[in-house]
Amino acid sequence: MTERVFSIAKSVLAVAVLLSLASAGGVLGYLRQPRELRFEPPVAADLDWFRLMSNGIGGTPPESYFALGKPYEADAYNLSQGKRLYAWFGCGTCHGDGRGGVGPSFLDGWWLYGPEMVSIVASIRDGRPHGMPAFRDRLTIEQIWQLAGYVQTIGSYSPKVAAPSRNDDKQTRPAENRGPAIILFDEGPVGVHPDQGPSP
Amino acid sequence: MTSRNAGALRDTAFDAAEIDRRLAAIWSTTPGVWGALATVDHKVIGRRYITTAFVFLALGGLLSLLMRLQLAQPEARFIGPDRYNQLFTMHGTNMMFLFAVPVMQAMAVYLVPLMVGTRNIAFPRLNAFSYWMYLAGGLLLWIAFVLDTGPDVGWFAYVPLSGPQYAAGKRADIWAQMITFTEVSALAVAVEIVVTVFKHRAPGMSLDRIPLFVWSMLVTSFVVILAMPAIMVASTALILDRLVETHFFNPAEGGDVLLWQHLFWFFGHPEVYIIFLPAVGMVSTIVATFTRRPVFGYLAMVMALIATGILAFGLWVHHMFVAGLPRLGESFFTASSMAIAVPAGLQIFCWLATIWAGRPIFTTPFLFAIGFIVTFVIGGLTGVMVASVPFDTQVHDTYFVVAHFHYVLVGGAVFPLLGALYYWFPKLTGRLMSETRGRWVFGLIFVGFNLTFFPMHILGLQGMPRRIYTYQPEMPWSGLNMFISLSAVILAGGFLLFFIDVIRSARTGAVASSNPWEASTLEWATSSPPPPYNFARLPVVGGLDPLSDRRDVLPVAAGLRVDRRELLVSSIVEATPEAREASSGDSIWPLLAAIATTATLIWSIFTPWAVVWGSIPIAIALIGWFWPKGVPEDES
Ligand code: HEC
Ligand code: HEM
Ligand SMILES: [Cu+2]
Repeated sequence: MTERVFSIAKSVLAVAVLLSLASAGGVLGYLRQPRELRFEPPVAADLDWFRLMSNGIGGTPPESYFALGKPYEADAYNLSQGKRLYAWFGCGTCHGDGRGGVGPSFLDGWWLYGPEMVSIVASIRDGRPHGMPAFRDRLTIEQIWQLAGYVQTIGSYSPKVAAPSRNDDKQTRPAENRGPAIILFDEGPVGVHPDQGPSP
Repeated sequence: MTSRNAGALRDTAFDAAEIDRRLAAIWSTTPGVWGALATVDHKVIGRRYITTAFVFLALGGLLSLLMRLQLAQPEARFIGPDRYNQLFTMHGTNMMFLFAVPVMQAMAVYLVPLMVGTRNIAFPRLNAFSYWMYLAGGLLLWIAFVLDTGPDVGWFAYVPLSGPQYAAGKRADIWAQMITFTEVSALAVAVEIVVTVFKHRAPGMSLDRIPLFVWSMLVTSFVVILAMPAIMVASTALILDRLVETHFFNPAEGGDVLLWQHLFWFFGHPEVYIIFLPAVGMVSTIVATFTRRPVFGYLAMVMALIATGILAFGLWVHHMFVAGLPRLGESFFTASSMAIAVPAGLQIFCWLATIWAGRPIFTTPFLFAIGFIVTFVIGGLTGVMVASVPFDTQVHDTYFVVAHFHYVLVGGAVFPLLGALYYWFPKLTGRLMSETRGRWVFGLIFVGFNLTFFPMHILGLQGMPRRIYTYQPEMPWSGLNMFISLSAVILAGGFLLFFIDVIRSARTGAVASSNPWEASTLEWATSSPPPPYNFARLPVVGGLDPLSDRRDVLPVAAGLRVDRRELLVSSIVEATPEAREASSGDSIWPLLAAIATTATLIWSIFTPWAVVWGSIPIAIALIGWFWPKGVPEDES
């Protein structure tokens, strides 16, 4: 009988060791996973109600955004949707692969309107004076948040675990999960945008 | 013989009781937690392996019931699309990689050393390592699923769907890395089986006296060794594509999407035979025992096994008929797919002839063997149908295919396996399973299975695609789907009764003698369950049926040492003894090595640096594992 108990105890221990290892992996994966395909309409509508500073730079997201667990910055699915929207809505025509063009670069560490999510959401939703069109009539607010999360990811200096990887296209720069901003960072003799001041 | 050796204790010096005592002392697993974690006894590990695989069968079965619940009615709201994707992927992946392949190898881990008359499997520590890796891979997949990170790209994870662009997050990586775990463990077992069969057979068991089940496992192991590397390469390439932007599957940068399909199915088709061939061996064994005569056409059976094993590698493209390959290629693979029906048909006729000529006793294992023959023939017929390109183009990705592969997988592998479990249960536990319950189990499963899966052929012909989470009421599918879901309840009832029977019989079943079925292969020559050393004296084999040829006396070999774990090395063809060899003792290092490997593999989903840093603990574990013991390894 004691042998029985022993053998059960043994297997429990073995399982426990492996379980903890595997669950560590699982938890790490979970951090970027929960996949909410569509929010309830009131929740989604609430995403429109963030507060912005009067100069249009910085502010606070709506309360509900925190209640949802900040899904647009660290969730793999939303970030990859954002990446898709970036291509579908032609952001690349002005911002290139993130390194800029007619519009500013996203991975040089410079943010004209600050790096916060709400600023980016506001830029996309409402447009900006020097040539950034407003997308509020073409995208839902959820999509705008997805895009904003993605745009923020492009320029991140510590790549997010949930950052998307490469597309099945020609490769022009390292993908977001490898931290292109770090790899491409080039501290030239003058800043990349001398018009924006000496430091980011 | 060296002088140091001359003083060693041999079994010739003692009487039977003393030999038993000394062998038990040297071969037993020490009781306690430590002993359980360090054991290298193939019987302990084999039982563990089998139990774990059946747990995965039950879990996979639960998933299929969830799917059937969702599909019972049109536009059901029980499970959403995202969850459904995870369900069918988990079900397929779990059934193929965590149940079907491992359970067959597990049966071999337990039975092959007994059937060839040796004391432990070759490379016993590798065997322990293999089990821990398998367990870790299974836990990885299931824990991820519970955390809503289960893979959702189908069990064959086609790119680009599973590639970096379309499979967000770590779901696909979990799938790919789980492959690494299970393939490492499968390869390890395959190598052990090959060496055990080639080098550790009892004296006199020449190639033409090897039991058919052992032959089937030998062929299977070679198929594993040749097929699994393809999928490991593929899944590693997928992880690299996803993590560090390699371009194996990116056409824009010179990669190739079809490469994935080729690599996958170059493994995937042989995989079907990795599952099926052991089942064939089980059926041969069961049929021989319960018809009271050797299987008709031993040589033909062995040749059919080998032919299937070889042909298995020439069919993979039939899974890719709709991928737009050159016509000539498609025709070739149609022909080869039909050709493999020849060895399969040959085996069927050999069994029929055996039953015809024998005096069949309709026990539960034998019923399952019959159920197998019937079901597998139906699955084989639809197999020949989908081997033709025009037909396959119509039914590809419909429920017709789902019906087909369940007929061959459940009919061709699960039925024989259940029969085998009823048959070998006394050898595994020392108790018999219940014959009454067994008949109910067979009846429920056989009827439930056919009622569940036969209508799927019709659904497929009516155009119902597979992998859909719901369908509209206008479609003509609702009635059959409800019928299928209800039938699945019968099927599930059969499995439930089976599990009840296993648990109750293990506790209170009739105590089995060493050879309750009066079978003729060597595993029945020792007690049920066998002692840690399997055989007090290694048997000597004089024919194909060692136990029935000379029922009363089984000649044995003498001269082995009783003061260390020792077994015989014999020649490949004739199995003449060549050397006495030490078999390694219990060790905790395989478990530690498995833990280090597990940590590295999981970590490497997140950063490539894991491979660099993780190799350090792995190296430490391996150094501990192989640390010289200062004992001469083998003497002739
Ligand atoms: C017609 C060209 C054009 C297109 C198309 C365009 N942008 Fe812009 N974008 C600009 C310009 C020009 C600016 C700079 C505006 C300013 O300085 O006021 C800008 C600014 C921005 C900013 C603020 C950058 C900062 O440094 O604060 C964000 C965020 C942004 N765009 C995102 C997007 C996204 C997302 C899309 C696609 C949905 C997009 N843009 C499409 C031209 C464009
Ligand atoms: C025992 C009862 C079983 C039932 C009721 C069952 C039912 C199902 C169902 C409903 C699907 C999904 C169809 C779809 O949505 O496309 C499926 C898929 C599958 N099943 Fe089973 N199944 C059973 C057993 C098995 C077994 C024993 C195996 C293998 C040994 C197996 C292997 C598979 C595979 C490989 C798939 C394909 C998964 C995919 O599409 O990726 N099934 N099964
Ligand atoms: Cu195939």
